This record gives sequence, structure tokens and C-alpha cells, in this order.
Amino acid sequence: MIAALWVCRSCARSLRRVGVSQFIRKVSAATASTLPPALLQRARKVAAEHEKLSAELATSSSYDEKAARRIGEIAGVAAALRELEKTKESLAELNGLLESDDAELRELAKDDLEATNSQLEALERNLSVALTPKHPFADMHCLLEIRPGPGGTEGRFFADSLFKMYTSYCANKNYRTRIVKYEKSDGDGQTSSEGEAALQEAVIEVQEDGAYNMFRGEAGMHRVQRVPSTEKTGRTHTSAVAVWVLPSFPENGAGSEAESEWDNPESDFYIDPAEVRSEKMRAGGAGGQHVNKTESAIRLTHIPTGTTVSMQDSRSQHVNRRDAWRLLRSRIAQQRREAREEQARLMRNSVLSQSQITRGDKIRTYQYQQDRCTDHRSGADFHNLPDILEGGETLEKVMRSSQGWFVERDIQALIAEEMVKDAESKARK
Amino acid sequence: MPRIRPFTFWLARKKISPQAARLLFVCRDLLSAANELRWIREHVNTTPSKIPPNLRLHQLCSKRARGTPLQYLLGTQPFGDLEILCRPGVLIPRPETECYTIELAALIKRNLPKHKPLNVLDICTGTGCIALQLYASLTPHFPTHIQAIDISPVAISLAQRNLSHNIQLGNLISPPPQLTPILTPNTKSTVSFTLLSLFSPALLTTLSSHPPDVIVSNPPYISNKAFSTTTSRSVRNHEPRLALVPEHDDISLELNCQPEDVFYARILHLAKELKGCTRVILFEVADMEQAGRVVRLVERDEVLRGWYDVVEIWRDWPDEEHEDHIVKGEESNVAVAVKGIGEGRVVYLWNSRGGEMEGKR
Ligand SMILES: C[S@@+](CC[C@H](N)C(=O)[O-])C[C@H]1O[C@@H](n2cnc3c(N)ncnc32)[C@H](O)[C@@H]1O
Repeated sequence: MIAALWVCRSCARSLRRVGVSQFIRKVSAATASTLPPALLQRARKVAAEHEKLSAELATSSSYDEKAARRIGEIAGVAAALRELEKTKESLAELNGLLESDDAELRELAKDDLEATNSQLEALERNLSVALTPKHPFADMHCLLEIRPGPGGTEGRFFADSLFKMYTSYCANKNYRTRIVKYEKSDGDGQTSSEGEAALQEAVIEVQEDGAYNMFRGEAGMHRVQRVPSTEKTGRTHTSAVAVWVLPSFPENGAGSEAESEWDNPESDFYIDPAEVRSEKMRAGGAGGQHVNKTESAIRLTHIPTGTTVSMQDSRSQHVNRRDAWRLLRSRIAQQRREAREEQARLMRNSVLSQSQITRGDKIRTYQYQQDRCTDHRSGADFHNLPDILEGGETLEKVMRSSQGWFVERDIQALIAEEMVKDAESKARK
Repeated sequence: MPRIRPFTFWLARKKISPQAARLLFVCRDLLSAANELRWIREHVNTTPSKIPPNLRLHQLCSKRARGTPLQYLLGTQPFGDLEILCRPGVLIPRPETECYTIELAALIKRNLPKHKPLNVLDICTGTGCIALQLYASLTPHFPTHIQAIDISPVAISLAQRNLSHNIQLGNLISPPPQLTPILTPNTKSTVSFTLLSLFSPALLTTLSSHPPDVIVSNPPYISNKAFSTTTSRSVRNHEPRLALVPEHDDISLELNCQPEDVFYARILHLAKELKGCTRVILFEVADMEQAGRVVRLVERDEVLRGWYDVVEIWRDWPDEEHEDHIVKGEESNVAVAVKGIGEGRVVYLWNSRGGEMEGKR
């Protein structure tokens, strides 16, 4: 009896296994949940490494810092995989129950199945995200640079709106910020009917850990379509404003970290002072006690890249110089990072080429007449433009959508990479 | 001074505001007119006053347009890590002064023995800017004793206020309360401002008990002629002549130097009396010509020449593009290194073999 039962269950299982996999395929087609085998394979490898390292660390007498750090890095992957496999197991159980003779049990299983399936989808995504490498600047503070595109005052006015949008957003979220630079064009006389100033350039520092990650999706061209207050014929104008997001080091506190990064030639933030030309924008002629000028502007030029930064907000030359150096370092670090990403893209251009963003790409459109904001990368439309421009919850949703796009892109890159690796190792065999 | 083009006025009025156009009379270019207008606005918006903001803005701009220095109107000037209070009757700190003071602090940190008490003398301290910035930069590294003197009572009381003002702002740590204004090397760090003339006999007696390791001075250095020609109207009309033009012709005869060099000659004389204990002497000067004359004052004296083996001239911005030039001293034929860019601004003397002197002392 017992033996027979055993045989029976075994048979049932092997039969069911076919059914289950068919079922999953059907479900995944319906919910668009697809975890490519390459990723799963990668996750299994990482989880195995995690297990091995953990075991070693537990038994070894000395503390291996490198191993401990690696465990920390990959713990997320191991946990996500465990969750995923647990859910897959229960899915298999549930499918088994669907074939039960007990009608009530079958009903219960059906109820649970749907929930578990959607859970599976979320868990697969978690695993993918855990597998993607973290951006090297992700944990850092950031600088948001806002600059109107070429063209008339309309772009400059809208630049001021974006400036207000981000500063209010940060205020709403209680993020610490500092206005590093706020330069109106031709002084500060002009304002639009919406109370916007003609902004030439603004730099906001967001002093929160992880700010770079939160804002990196904002980089790119922001397009505005509206009827300017000065437009008499009621024609809609299109203008653009560029937003750059740069990594930055906390000013003090972790100052020692910043300084060691600045002096380390390996670091993205390292700049050889000999390669920087610094100019004070003071007219020539007598100085010292003979005159009492108030010019405090500083301009730095990084000669190898031609990058220039000018700063004149403060009455203190000392402060202007310090801010100019920080901005220059951040810009150069970002350029170096982008250059590396570009190189990586060339190496596996097939997958990433469509999703690579460059500074020139338009990422978002603000359509005033239709009260609509479109994020071109996520493809999502949002309404309630006033709330967006006031840095409200709708903006948060918009920002999330472009962050989501980034995550998706990173996952795609990872899959591509795994597939290339896979193909290479097969070719070698 | 070059005439301002009518077009620039038109631009200022149209693109910025009528206020900015008026500021052009003193600022000379659009960018700095726009900056000054912004700083005046910020001042109006951030400081309380009974006068309504628009009226106040108007008043400040008119005063500025008529030549009152911006720093007197706003009441402050940033200087290194500090905010220096500025009041009529006391010379406003200049950016060149700020620049070499920071450079000097870095050199002192690099070249003088750490943790040993460091005595600094600032002659002609004015607002106290140099003394206070050195105090801020050096106290973390040396038990620092700064003594500053000035002949003007207004300057001395303002310097004292600047000390407490920056302590209040958290820019400076408070020195222990002092009973006497004399240097007291056995306590931690001290700053003192004393009403005293460089030419007073009391000075040497005060110093000889604790001779300064560093002497820094930005004395009056403008000649009578330069005062009426190259000195700007705003400076002439609003800043104290006592701070700008030396008037001690009798003493300059006695010390055998030009009238506008009399403070340097006197300070070098003082250094001699102090038997070379002073390792660093830094003077601010008017231009390359005066720098050359000061170098010659050192070179013509065998004793001073022997002590101060490193003689440098710094330009306005010694921290930039260190192109080292060489200037030949007329009589002595010595080579002098010139640092930085701009007009000749500083003469720097360094006794690099200080060790022996210290042994003797
Ligand atoms: C050019 S100001 C320098 C102020 C300050 N050190 C700075 O750099 O901004 C010169 C100062 O020397 C002071 N002074 C003039 N004659 C003096 C004298 N015989 N003894 C001491 N100080 C004197 C003036 O009162 C004035 O404050």
C-alpha cells in the first residue's frame, strides 16, 4: 500500500512536470513575465558563490574583509533567487492541487494561483534588478545643472520654471539643497507673465546620499510647448532646456573622502591642477590700495577637454573659486564616466544602441495647452502639469517612470552581456 | 579711465534695470553692475530695516552710483574664511590681500616647526583681516600668538569687533580671555589688537621679550603723486588717507629711502633690532617698481642680506600659473624669483636657516 502510493505520487509528479511547465509558459505569455535563462543561470552562479563565501567566512579564523564586502554585494541576488525559487515551488504545488479530486481544494488553489503568478513576476524583476551592477555614483550627492537651449527668452523663462520645479520638489521631500549658481541672463530685470526670470544657468546641489541615483533620470533635453506671454498671434512655441546631472562629494563631514578622491589620480574626480587655466575676470590696471573693485568672478578651463566653468555668485573670490573647482571636478567625472559607457556601448552595440541617452536627446515634453507631460523614454503621459511644476507627487511619478526606464535598460544590457558570454563560452568548447 | 559707451548704458537700462544703468558709473561694465545690483537686492531682502525695501534699494543704488564703496553700504567684505565688518574710516580689505594671506598661511604651515608656539606681528592691521585670517588658518597647527597694531583708534576697535563677530559666526574659535595685550607664549592661542604706531619707541620694548617669528604688513604705500593720479576717485573720496599715503618725510630722510617706502625701511630696521629672530617678513607693495626698491633696501644691508637668503616678489595672484620670472636688482645684481600673475604686489623674505638663530635665542 505504502509502496504503491509512493509509485503513484512519483508517476503523478513526472506527469505533472510537463503540465506545469506548459502552464507556466502560458501564464508568462499572459503576464509578460520573462526571465531569460541567461539571467537565471547567472543568478545561480552568484548564489553559489555567496554560499561558498559565507561558509568560508564562518569557518575561517581570520576576518577576510574583501570576502565580506563581496558577500554584502551579492547577498541581494542570493536572497532574491531564494524568494523566487520558493515561489516557483509553491506554484508547482498549487498546480498539483489543480489536479486534485477534491473540488474545494481545486477552488482554493485557483484563487491562490493568480496572486502567486503576479508575485512571481515581481520577484523575477527583483532578481533582475539585484543582478544589475550599481552605478558607481549611485550613492553620491548630485549637482543639477539647468541651462536653456539655444534660442530666445522663452527657453530661458522655462529654465527658471524647471529650476523652481526641482527646488520645490526637494523642499517637499525635505532634501537638503544649496543653490550653487543662479545666473539670470542680462541681469535680472525681465520676467515672464508667469513670474519666471530669464535664467542663464543654475546649479542646485542636492545634499542627500543617493541623490545622484534619484535624479540621474532627469538628465537630457526638456522640451516645452506653450504660447509665450509675448506671443500676440497665439502661436505655440517649442523651446528646450538642458538638464545635466553630475555626481558631487559632500562638502564637509566626508570632506576627507572627497579630498582623498581629488588627490587620487585613479579617481574620476582627479584633475591635474597644471591642466587647468584659471582666470580672474578683473580688468587690468592698478590693483591693491589704489582701487576698490568688487569683481570676484572666476573662470576655470580644463585645457585637455576644453571644459570651462565660471562662477560669480558670491562676493568672495575664495568661495567662487571653491565652487568653480567642485563643479569642474563633477563635470569632468561625469564626462569620464560617459566616455566609458560609450566605449562599453561600442563593444556590445547591438542591444544598447537604441537606449543610450546622450545630452542632446529630448527626454521629456511639457505641453501646457494640453496639460500634459510626456516622458519619452518610459513613453508615459502624465496630467496635472501645475502639480509637476510645483514639484508635487505627479513629478515624483514622472521621475519614477524614467528611473524605471534606466533599470530596464540596465537589465537589457545585462542580458545582452550574459548572452555574449554564453555564446563565447560555447564557441570555446 | 575709458569712457563708457552709450550703447552699454542703453543695454543696462533695457536688459537689466535703470538701477543697473546708474551703477555703471562706478562698475564700468555690465556684468559687475548686474552682480552688484543683485548683491544690493539680497542685502535689502535679508537684513531688517524700517525703510521700505524699494526705497532702500533706491537709496543704496544712488549712494553706490555716487561712489560710496559697496562694502561700506553692505557693511561687510568676505575675506578667506571670514566675514569682515567694514566701516567708513577704515580701509576695506582687498582681494589681492586675501590671496597672499592664504598663500602665506600655507607657507608658514609648510616651513615652520609644528606645535612650537608661533608669534605673528601684523603691522597696520586696519580691519584686522590679515591677523584674523592667519589666526583662523594657523591655530589648528601651532599655538599661535597674533599681535596686531594700528595707529587708528577706529581701526583697532573695528578689528576687535571683527574678532568677536567671526567668533559669533563660528568662523573662529574663541581665544582664552586675555589680561594683558602682550604676547603670552605659555597659553594656547591668542590674538590682540593694540593701539600703537610703528614709529613708537614702545614697540621694540614690547616685542623684544617675545620676538615675532612672522612679520606681515600692508602699510600705507601710495605716493603723493600716485594718490592724485592712479588712485580711483571712490578710494580717494571715501577711504581714509591715513591708510593709503605715508606722511613721515622726516623719517624717510633719516632712513634714506623714498617717502612712500618709509614703512618698509622702518620695519626692516626693526627686524635688525630683533637680531634676525624673525623667520618670515611679508610686505604688500604698490607695484613692481616699489617691490624692486624694497628688495634693494634688503640687499644694501649686509646683515639683512645674510639672514634673508630667500627673497621673492609675488604678483597679485601668486597662486596662479606660477611662471617664475627673474628680475635683476639694479645695484646688487641679485636674481629674484617672481611668482604668479598680475602687478607686483608682495615682497617676501624668508630666513631659511632659522635653526641656528633659534639656537642663539
Ligand atoms: C593699507 S591699510 C591696511 C589695513 C589692513 N591690514 C588690510 O590689509 O586691509 C594701512 C593701515 O595702517 C595704519 N597706519 C597708518 N600709519 C600707521 C602707523 N604709523 N603705525 C601703525 N599703523 C599705521 C592705518 O590706520 C591703516 O589702518
